[in-house]
Amino acid sequence: MQWNKQDLDQYFTAEEYIDTLLIPLIPITFTNQKEMEKSAAQQETGMIFVREMEKHFKGRIFLLPAYHYLASGDLGAEVSRLNEWAAKANERPFKHVFFFSFDPHWKKQERNLNGTLLWMPAIQTEDTQSKETQSIIKDQVNQLTGLIKTYW
Amino acid sequence: MSEKRQQVSRRQFLNYTLTGVGGFMAAGMLAPMVRFAIDPALQASSKGDFKAVEDVENITEEPTRIDWEIDQVDAWYESTVTKTAWVYKDENGDIVALSPICKHLGCMVTWAGNDDYPDQFYCPCHDGRYYKSGENVPNTPPPEGLDFYEYKIEDGTLLLGPTKPRGEA
Ligand code: FES
Repeated sequence: MQWNKQDLDQYFTAEEYIDTLLIPLIPITFTNQKEMEKSAAQQETGMIFVREMEKHFKGRIFLLPAYHYLASGDLGAEVSRLNEWAAKANERPFKHVFFFSFDPHWKKQERNLNGTLLWMPAIQTEDTQSKETQSIIKDQVNQLTGLIKTYW
Repeated sequence: MSEKRQQVSRRQFLNYTLTGVGGFMAAGMLAPMVRFAIDPALQASSKGDFKAVEDVENITEEPTRIDWEIDQVDAWYESTVTKTAWVYKDENGDIVALSPICKHLGCMVTWAGNDDYPDQFYCPCHDGRYYKSGENVPNTPPPEGLDFYEYKIEDGTLLLGPTKPRGEA
């Protein structure tokens, strides 16, 4: 399910079945061209990843709009904010919360997050449309969906 | 080919309406009406399009996953969407092309997706199951069988079109 009216209508007919929340974590930076391009590319690929996961598991995963934050080496403040999100979301019958990110700084905070971090190294690519990239993404998405299944 | 023309007219339409902030606001207010009243081309254009996906001779009795791409156009976006079907020949040699979208809540089912049921379609979300024919297995969550794709065969090639639910088949 996605955060739009049509999916929400369906969500409320079957709330108890959609027990998994997926929140993409996407850093934004203003430092220089190179870093900004990298961050933009990560957001593009990241959204492809989470949308593909949602497509596989539409009836069980609720995909939230991305959580954006200023890129930083210390994400402590973001952790408490995210945990607030997770706590609020748990007022709905969600049993699992997954955070998806390419940003390695989350790794350090993994223990403090009230949810499961799905982290993977960003794939460097110029062109998300190329056949090669597509098959890499498909393959990685399969691994991720396989991983999510083990939590159910 | 008519698609190309529609694209141009849509772009023009956007250019005209979106000129200036006033135009933008008007577009916002008018959009719902415009979409239905003026230009049928603005509605999802994928309806009714058939796409060549595979040589018929390559299709066996084992359901096999086929992916292909279509261009989907709605009022504001044009995008390439990947479609998926499970395709096989039934015992009479007729093509069966099933939608992978689970009729419970829309997850993607896979053939033999669960080792315990090697000759059924399986939905990982809530253990929904379907027989090879696409009929839902009673006492699993799906309320009905998988949708069929409409298909055509031209010169030995399989073309797949829109899906239709069983009730209308
Ligand atoms: S979405 Fe397939 S069984 Fe629930």
